[in-house]
Amino acid sequence: MKTLGLSSKLIWQPALAALVLAALSAPIAPTARAQEKSMPLSQVQRLNRAPVNKEVLRVQLPRPTVVMLKNGLTLLLLENHKLPTVAFSLWIRPGQLADPIDLPGLASFAAGMLREGTERRTSAQIATETDSLGATLSATAVFGSSYLSVDASGWISDAWQILDLLSDVVLHPSFPSSELAQYKQREQASLEQRLSNPGFLARQAFRRVLYGDAPLSVTSPTKESIEKVTADDLKKFHDEHFRPGNAILGVTGDFKTSDMQALVEKYFGGWTGAAEPPAKLPASATPRPAQITLVDRPSSVQTFIIGGNRSIRRTDPDFYALTVMNQVLGGGPQSRLFLDLREEHSYTYGAYSRFNSEIYPGDWAASAAVRTPVTDGSMTQFLYELKRINHELVPQGELDESRRAIIAGFALSLEQPAQVLASWLTVQHFGLPADYWNTYPDHIAAIDAVAVQAAAKKFIDLDHLQWICVGDRKQIQDVLAKYGQVAVVDVNGKNEN
Amino acid sequence: MQNNVRCEEVKNVAAKRWRKAVLLPRILGCLGLSAALVWAGGVRIPNLELHDSRLDNGLRVILVPDHSAPVYSINVAYNVGSRNEHPGRTGFAHLFEHMMFEGSENVGKGEQFSLVMNNGGGMNGTTNEDRTVYFEELPKNQLDLGLFLESDRMRALNITQANFENQRKTVQEERRQSYDNQPYAHAELDLDNLSYDNFAYKHSTIGSMADLDAATLQDVTDFFHTYYAPNNAVLTLVGDFDPDEALAKVKKYFGPIPSQPAPPKVDLTEDLHYGERRETISDPLARLPQINIAYHIPPGNTPDNYAAQELAVILGQGQSSRFYQHLVKDKQLASDVSAFADARIGPSLLYLSANPAPGVKVEDLEKGMEEEIAAVVKDGVTPDELAKAKTQLLRRFIEQRRSSLRTAILIGQYTVYFNDPNLINTVQDKQEAVTLEQANAAAKKYLVRDQRTLITTLPASPDATRPAKPAH
Repeated sequence: MKTLGLSSKLIWQPALAALVLAALSAPIAPTARAQEKSMPLSQVQRLNRAPVNKEVLRVQLPRPTVVMLKNGLTLLLLENHKLPTVAFSLWIRPGQLADPIDLPGLASFAAGMLREGTERRTSAQIATETDSLGATLSATAVFGSSYLSVDASGWISDAWQILDLLSDVVLHPSFPSSELAQYKQREQASLEQRLSNPGFLARQAFRRVLYGDAPLSVTSPTKESIEKVTADDLKKFHDEHFRPGNAILGVTGDFKTSDMQALVEKYFGGWTGAAEPPAKLPASATPRPAQITLVDRPSSVQTFIIGGNRSIRRTDPDFYALTVMNQVLGGGPQSRLFLDLREEHSYTYGAYSRFNSEIYPGDWAASAAVRTPVTDGSMTQFLYELKRINHELVPQGELDESRRAIIAGFALSLEQPAQVLASWLTVQHFGLPADYWNTYPDHIAAIDAVAVQAAAKKFIDLDHLQWICVGDRKQIQDVLAKYGQVAVVDVNGKNEN
Repeated sequence: MQNNVRCEEVKNVAAKRWRKAVLLPRILGCLGLSAALVWAGGVRIPNLELHDSRLDNGLRVILVPDHSAPVYSINVAYNVGSRNEHPGRTGFAHLFEHMMFEGSENVGKGEQFSLVMNNGGGMNGTTNEDRTVYFEELPKNQLDLGLFLESDRMRALNITQANFENQRKTVQEERRQSYDNQPYAHAELDLDNLSYDNFAYKHSTIGSMADLDAATLQDVTDFFHTYYAPNNAVLTLVGDFDPDEALAKVKKYFGPIPSQPAPPKVDLTEDLHYGERRETISDPLARLPQINIAYHIPPGNTPDNYAAQELAVILGQGQSSRFYQHLVKDKQLASDVSAFADARIGPSLLYLSANPAPGVKVEDLEKGMEEEIAAVVKDGVTPDELAKAKTQLLRRFIEQRRSSLRTAILIGQYTVYFNDPNLINTVQDKQEAVTLEQANAAAKKYLVRDQRTLITTLPASPDATRPAKPAH
């Protein structure tokens, strides 16, 4: 629900890019050198008078204790004693990737229904208990993600109660039919609401053109799947996939590691089920030729533009080069897309790029919401920046700064133990080396301009670039035709010609 | 509720650490007050140690050492917001905020962003009705950088027509992105517009397109001189630094900035309203109806505002809330609900919102909301509900305390709003102090149909032409 109240306007909103295309966070990370004068980007001025400490504060991310319990559950324990709290994050494979083709959203239904009743608690009891503890308890299956997550947090002195709740909803959900009927009503309403959201509409169209088939192309349940799903479907999904062998539990907070391990073993030790083999995913369809999909959203006063291609698997060694390339292109308000489309051309509140990476090749995209009359100019500038990073080596100063932004940012993450924990859960889940974050800064520092350009050439594939433009067809269709073939669809993805 | 674990076993997990923590606050002082612990629901959090002083030029400086991470956050809160705007210049405080990122005497256009982000930091700024804040979080070895950037733009903002045109358009895009291109935005803006008669809070912070178009460069210069002075600002630093060293640096960077005459005060008085105010909006971007209600409550940091915070939780925050359990679950009238209580410098509002469930008439949803509110007014809330609300609010507050940046922003806000930075240590006591009698009296006094605003949004048919944009 949109929060009403104090209307705080931010100068820029980095979260927009991440919200649109569910990015996995590449944590923020080298040595500063004297700033050379970079090639001036249009109107950016470098006076170089600010007192900058040239030394990059190198920090090591604290490492969790990693334990594999007898039942196959992997446990990550990360102590943090700043506040008397504890947070649990349980990642369970395979998530939405296991949705049957005819039941899109099954994983998200299972996740959403966990709180709606267990063998010994009703939905109302779970709600009252959670709120009375001042705790949080939620479960989400992100579309396109190879795991669903169940998260809980609260006071450390309530750790056993929180674990009791968490283990109860994970191990013993009952999926009551009466609750399912109500859940479906709410899901139908949510679906309806999503269809008015330009970011969602863009993502929906983008994933469809990139991946073609389910499950990778799916971003939402459908009216039909919401209607169709039964309690038996949910139970089956739960039986098949909710197993300790499929799961990683991360815990961070104000505890002694051995004590918390013992507590987790008490509540999750009885969980049984061997790991499943990795999800079988359809072979990647051949990338389509470059095309523009116009999602007609009448009464729009902006065009929401996404341009992108597929990216990489999380374990791909190109991850570092792509990270640096993305940082240069659109990683923040200091990056090219923002400085061009907003600071120079005044087209938008913000333009960014981001990518995600998964057990399958994820997606990469640049995006911005621009006022409708400058849709033309915005497309021109997007193409200009995409071609520039493709054809020209990044100047040394700009490259140094981008690498430094990534490496130096590690210090800030130390304030957010949940973020640190998620970084290590990522390592565990994707099978990255145990010292991944310790070597990460050096890998980033080693990315030179040649590597960045190679990444640009590889991933910014202009011949197969997929553009999605969500806006008022009447005002933008002709303009977009200048940039390529335009296919017009409605908010449900149906062709509108 | 059954559980297989005896309480004694699990106490060990937490208790030992906290015996240590209880000793710590003895070392900490806070302006001569005895070192107290924030107490709520059995959980104790140590007070923050505030070093509070004022430079000769009037700049209030609050330093909060915190060595838990090798970072620091800097927040400059200016005592100006959209409440200070005049008719014809709505949106100006926020537009001016954008200008603060366009360069100053020693910082070029765009250079602010690159200096902070490329040195591993994060930054932003934000404006609301009551204050404008600018903040950075940086690794601890960049203390000079943050102080330099904030002092340079406080002292000598570089104001040019080109930058101004650029940011005017940027702000207009922000308005389109956040409001004009979103469902329910019209209702959100109208809710405050109808609820307030005093211009200060009546108009929107984002401003109207017409007023944004009409703003001039001279307005920017005048605004800067009037409001962007050290004597109208609060500088808060939270993080890994030595307070004596930090204060010396603050004096070096901010000391030379001359003070300005105190800006004009704004009268925020709101006369009593008589009669419910209603509006129905036809919204071509909305796909579901929505009901938005606003009740008048007292300003922030008053006993009844703390009571209203708890009423909002009980009514509509969390799945055990009344709205969720009764309207969403039991009666299935709503598909989504929310509640929020403002805490402004001036008269504030308690907001309630709901979307109907599929097939439910919006009139029936309104009736259902009315019944829930009437029940709270008539029979009051229960002791369990009140305790639960306090716990939920405390948890949220504590999570903010984890972040040096959120803490710095809160302290700056408490100082600008209420002249009380130490609220960071006392606000939870004040929240705890709300009694059942007080909460129930507040419900009777403020959840009054006759003094509220209610806006119904209905989806317009796809062919309807878009209604005129709100003038505010």
